[in-house]
Amino acid sequence: MSLGKGEKVFVGILLAAIVVIWLFALPNIGGMDQLSNMGIGTQWIYTMGEEQGFFTRINLLTVIMGGVIVIGTIIFAGVVGRKFKMIPDKRQSAVELLLDFMYKTVEDAITRKELVRPVFIISTTLFIFISISNIISGIPGLNVSVINGEPQFSLFLNTWYTPTSDLNTNATYALMTLVLSHGFAIKVKGFKEWFKSFFEPNPLMLPMNLVGEISKPISHSLRLFGNIYGGGILVLILSYMAKYLILPVALWGFFGMFIGLIQAMVFAMLTVAYIAGQVE
Amino acid sequence: MEEAIVEAAKYVGAGLCMGIGAIGPAIGEGNVGAHAMDAMARQPEMSGSLVTRMLLGMAVSESTGLYSLLIAFIILFAG
Repeated sequence: MSLGKGEKVFVGILLAAIVVIWLFALPNIGGMDQLSNMGIGTQWIYTMGEEQGFFTRINLLTVIMGGVIVIGTIIFAGVVGRKFKMIPDKRQSAVELLLDFMYKTVEDAITRKELVRPVFIISTTLFIFISISNIISGIPGLNVSVINGEPQFSLFLNTWYTPTSDLNTNATYALMTLVLSHGFAIKVKGFKEWFKSFFEPNPLMLPMNLVGEISKPISHSLRLFGNIYGGGILVLILSYMAKYLILPVALWGFFGMFIGLIQAMVFAMLTVAYIAGQVE
Repeated sequence: MEEAIVEAAKYVGAGLCMGIGAIGPAIGEGNVGAHAMDAMARQPEMSGSLVTRMLLGMAVSESTGLYSLLIAFIILFAG
């Protein structure tokens, strides 16, 4: 394998960064405490004011990281999308590959021609946001755990905090998919036909249909949440003794990037499938 | 004494939850993989798209196992 000069410099900088991070993290590696004292699975919740209410509790890191990802994606889209050329460069062809693949999948699944474009936009947006936030859960960075009620920031001891490891984010998207699928169904088939679809094949099946509709967003959101959150905790427990040796890197690569991309794909595909099932 | 019993029951419960809950997804994923292998042996030129769909099907059939993983974590850390 022959590397150019720039690539050699890049690899050198990368290796040096890994060594520096390792030396930085080394003093902070403790022994295996009691699991409950490690702050595993805790979330930093910021409370505004004195009273504990639904609207005064904010999951602060979810908001910050979600905003950072959204703004970064918008900036990337602005930079790439401003100068689309006939002969694409690297970034443009990557974007075109992704959009082309998603468009073909949506076109195959949705039978109504006028709905292909909106469903394509919704599912691709979800896929891009979720896949970026899943990929950063395979990269070491800033994370917060709550120990004895006090938030403790850890840098490079754990992976980046991702918005998808918070059930609120996933439940929002799943509920949005449910509402949108029924909205599209009303728009395309008319209110009467949509209302009739709950009494198919006979009126006795109404409770079954309702339960089926309600269980959709629950399984949709819990699948993604369980994968990301459970994977993060699993890696943290498995690698607590041997941080920054070989094991955690491979585990982060598997749970963060491989599983994360597959789950983002599954989430987007299920969004398309739920909408397609309603508007048929 | 009672606290110790509760602590022990937590670990036993989490272990049982994960162990029993892993049976179903294992059978399901095995089925998905086996049938994908069948299809690939029959039509080797389709194997590229078959692998993608196999991974999608595995990820969906895995979800019941993940529910039991979540329950195990809740028993261990939140209870």
